[in-house]
Amino acid sequence: MVQHQPIDRTLAALADPTRRGVLERLAGGSATITELAEPVGISLTGMKKHVRVLEEVQLVSTEKIGRARQCTLGPRRLEDLEAWIASYRRMLDERLDRFGELLERTRGASP
Amino acid sequence: MTSDQQTARAILTTPSDREIRVERIFDAPRERVFALWTDPDLIPEWWGPRGTTTVVDQADVRPGGAWRFVVTSRGVEQGFRGTYREIVAPERIVLTFEWEGMPGHVSVETAVFEDLGERTKVIATSLFHTAEERDGMLGSGMESGMNDTYTRFDELLARRA
Repeated sequence: MVQHQPIDRTLAALADPTRRGVLERLAGGSATITELAEPVGISLTGMKKHVRVLEEVQLVSTEKIGRARQCTLGPRRLEDLEAWIASYRRMLDERLDRFGELLERTRGASP
Repeated sequence: MTSDQQTARAILTTPSDREIRVERIFDAPRERVFALWTDPDLIPEWWGPRGTTTVVDQADVRPGGAWRFVVTSRGVEQGFRGTYREIVAPERIVLTFEWEGMPGHVSVETAVFEDLGERTKVIATSLFHTAEERDGMLGSGMESGMNDTYTRFDELLARRA
């Protein structure tokens, strides 16, 4: 079962262009940290951090193979819209709740 | 891939299964609900999830006008953008919605305001489009795609009438 992460954590994980680039790269096949880092010119340490953020929200899975860490798209793939839609629904629900509170707060005020 | 994911993907194959629908009845007349809903100055008060702050970067509230809101959560900024398609006071609003973190996935959000006298029912629906469909919409199929959305929504309303 895919766990639904809070939307803000997933949004935060995807907010970074480097991490979105990693997902695009992995959509074309698995890669090691080195293979992910080299083309975009960032350090292995930096790429490890990005991958860890993606791994925490299950967008990426990693496996140590020999000395290299192999990365693949995680159980919660971007094209799996279900998770996004569930988050989206919660967002709409909350938006209407907050709108109702605004109506209450401004009751009696114009318009 | 787990069986849960396969199921999830399978149930997302028809447009109606990608439609999110949320409704509420508010204790305020329709004109007031519509006025508040469309006031750009009030967007930060209610648009984003709780615990976030929303800044209106752009809100050209008229058909064809662009909107862009920036939601900050735990120090991280997220951009959301789209275009207002229909602004029909005090009945309905249709706009496109795209999260900049998932570019290419565009949904069409519709808010319909039903007059219940001193109260108002708001029906908010969101029809999610895949990147492929979005690309199709941007081509010659755009108009019919949008019309399909409206027709489906009208049918939905008719069924509930």
